[in-house]
Amino acid sequence: MRSLVQLATAAALIAAVACARPEASGSRPGAQPGAPQRIISIVPAVTEMLFAIGAGPQVVAVSSFDTWPADALKLPKVGALLDPDIEQVIRLRPDLVIVYGAESELRAKLGRAGIKTYPYVMGGLANLTKTMRDLGRQVGRAAEAEAAAAAIDARFDAIRRRVAGRPKPRTLLVFGREPGSLRAIDASGGVGFLSDIVELAGGENVFGAVKRESVRVGTEEILAARPQIVIDLHYGRDLAPDQIDRERDAWKSLGSLPAVREGKIAILVGNQFVVPGPRLVDAAEAIADVVHPQWRSGR
Amino acid sequence: MPLRRRIFLTVALFGAVAVAALVLAPMVGSAPISLRRVFDRSIPFTDNPDAQIFFISRLPRTLAAALVGAALAASGVVFQALLRNPLATPFTLGVSSGAALGAMLAITFPVSLAFAGVSTVPIASFAGALGAVAIVYFLSTVRRHGLSTTVLLLAGITLNAFFSSLILFVQYLADFSQTMRTVRWLMGDLDVGSYAPILAALPFLLAGFAVFAWLPRALNLLTLGADAASARGVDVVRTQRLAFFSASLATGAAVSLGGPVGFIGIIVPHLVRLLVGADHRLVLPASALFGAAFLIGCDVAARTLIAPMVLPVGILTAMIGGPFFLWLLIRRG
Amino acid sequence: MLQAADVTFAYGPGKAGLHGVSVDVPGGSLVGILGPNGSGKTTLLRLLGGMLTPASGRITIDGRDVSRVPRRQLARQIAVVAQETRLAFEYSVLEVVLMGRYPHLGAFELESQDDVVIAREALAATGTLNLEDRLFPTLSGGEKQRVVIASALAQAADLMLLDEPTAALDPGYQIEIATLLRRLNAERGVTMAVATHDLNFAASICDRLVLLRAGHVLAAGPTADVLTRETVRALYDVDADVRFHEDAGHLTVVPLRRTRREA
Repeated sequence: MRSLVQLATAAALIAAVACARPEASGSRPGAQPGAPQRIISIVPAVTEMLFAIGAGPQVVAVSSFDTWPADALKLPKVGALLDPDIEQVIRLRPDLVIVYGAESELRAKLGRAGIKTYPYVMGGLANLTKTMRDLGRQVGRAAEAEAAAAAIDARFDAIRRRVAGRPKPRTLLVFGREPGSLRAIDASGGVGFLSDIVELAGGENVFGAVKRESVRVGTEEILAARPQIVIDLHYGRDLAPDQIDRERDAWKSLGSLPAVREGKIAILVGNQFVVPGPRLVDAAEAIADVVHPQWRSGR
Repeated sequence: MPLRRRIFLTVALFGAVAVAALVLAPMVGSAPISLRRVFDRSIPFTDNPDAQIFFISRLPRTLAAALVGAALAASGVVFQALLRNPLATPFTLGVSSGAALGAMLAITFPVSLAFAGVSTVPIASFAGALGAVAIVYFLSTVRRHGLSTTVLLLAGITLNAFFSSLILFVQYLADFSQTMRTVRWLMGDLDVGSYAPILAALPFLLAGFAVFAWLPRALNLLTLGADAASARGVDVVRTQRLAFFSASLATGAAVSLGGPVGFIGIIVPHLVRLLVGADHRLVLPASALFGAAFLIGCDVAARTLIAPMVLPVGILTAMIGGPFFLWLLIRRG
Repeated sequence: MLQAADVTFAYGPGKAGLHGVSVDVPGGSLVGILGPNGSGKTTLLRLLGGMLTPASGRITIDGRDVSRVPRRQLARQIAVVAQETRLAFEYSVLEVVLMGRYPHLGAFELESQDDVVIAREALAATGTLNLEDRLFPTLSGGEKQRVVIASALAQAADLMLLDEPTAALDPGYQIEIATLLRRLNAERGVTMAVATHDLNFAASICDRLVLLRAGHVLAAGPTADVLTRETVRALYDVDADVRFHEDAGHLTVVPLRRTRREA
């Protein structure tokens, strides 16, 4: 059933493109001549970046897990990290495919089909604007990319400046746990963009000494860490207000945590917190609001 | 030595080990705490991190480890007797793959089944376990009166394969982080964080244990063969049914409490038989007590070895179980 | 003592079974149930032991319907020795024999010293007392069979049913078992019914025979009357020489040639 839908989609796409052929490549508004016009992005973070630097019109397909922006959702989906639909990718005749750097096999396959690939490697926070600028050059949108990246850098800098000099509260950042309970807690370690954001926002990551992106901890380790602020990320679906209250209440059982005693448990919802794309700066500002509520009125 | 005294000594010895584990385990952990502060009544509970660590983190997980270890070890003994095969485990007949499917569905799809202080995943996994048990039992009794252990085994293997394929299918629909969390669940986690999940699992565990108390003599006879047992006065079909349901119930409750922790159901019975012989009146209680102590020990290691990170306890049991089996194989050969 | 009256049984529709079988095992006798494979010997034995319920007809022990007797009580009256005993776990010989005492124990009762004494007696009677502490799976075939018989003896039942007790044994052990059974029957008065396809074995110990073919009783009665050249031919499609062997002291059967099956 699935393949039938894929086949129909591909056929319709090819037909549409075939009809549009006479306009030829390089005539889309804004992109430099010779730039790729049929980009497929399997990496949700990069999809967001592409749309943010104005390269949206050049994108012809995205991954199955893309959620932003709305225009991206209208495009055909070609699978994701674990199972990209290589046949469909090739059928769509892309001139650039964004893949994860670790997917060497996929790159080799696409290379054999004569398709250029761009390997994306997830890194810390600094990697975001660096990748945006690099992407801008790759897709003929260097100027827009520079503008977008500079704007994001400015916002990050603003946060950094305004929280400087303030005491750093011990902050626990949890990005996964069993809903409604404190089991199977995944916290951010000292590596990765989440940890970088906590640091940027002027907090001290309680598990910053662990050199890993993700740390599975138990209630004992959390009680011993005595965080003054708990940031509990939820994504994948929206939470109604009563659900948010319930998730906040789940922390009440650890009554000795300073964060619980002072009511500083923040339930933050949305996947801008876990997709390392341009919306990360919104995430950083939201987290800074929790760690240093007065930061916006600072210098 | 008369049997009565041997039973008494065995239970006393293994019981002492279990009690020692129960008492000592909450005293160790990744965070240094002071026992004096823990039991200092003058400090209010919410101001006392040491007490919170002791009573919220360590004590519940020690109790959970004891119950899960006892249940899996004892169920292992019962299943081995029922299937007349020392290689049978509590997971051979499909209970854990049903539980795994239930847990995976709960992790992947946003549905809330929380009830009485117990969150969705344990309830879903228990439901999955019960479903698997029902299907296996139905399959093995559909053709003839009574319970054929061969058909039981085949039904269990079939169900394991079928549920595994369903799990793979759900995995296909899940995103990366959901898959990772399911894989973690499969490795076991005893950090219950409160007494509610323990209390919820307790009635089922106690029901299982109550039947276990009655089974040992009948299990001895069952290992002679169905006819030989019947000829010595055992109601074979009733014994098989009781063994199957009690062990499945205990396993299902244990798996929903702490995940499908492997190897306990087979290492502990083997070790115990090496120490006390084959009589189930010794093996069953000794295995339950030793299983409790063993899992408590593994849990202590799991939460202290790479502190502050917590290892899944199933990894520890596997790391001990693997070499143990190698040794067994070499010893026999 | 033990009787089957016009018993019919089948494992399933269309499957072979027993049809109108009547068997009489008088007290103190040693009855052989003879027949080729598939004739229903094991089925008949399981019916006699109360492990199966006949579709029609009755099995009675001392006049009482076997299916009405509570299982544990029946185990005190009838002991069964199965064809093969494969233990899943390593029980000691004494433990295996003590399992014969279970029908005499209450729900949670443990074996007493008296039970151990009875078990040891049973071991002595089968010449296996020296094996008491050995692990059962380490025994030879003949030793295993003798221990299993001891376990049945420990049940202190008046009746013993044995299914192919010598099938897997070589001649030395076969003679051992035959001698043992004859002695138990003669000295202890244990009534026995033995299912076997071994004609000579049956001839050597049984005073009565029941010949079964395709679920029907071909003949029944004292051995000398029942075991003839004609009955052997009817039972096995084999032309055999049946004569009394002076040295052996009983009838012997020497198969000579195959005969053609009569339609």
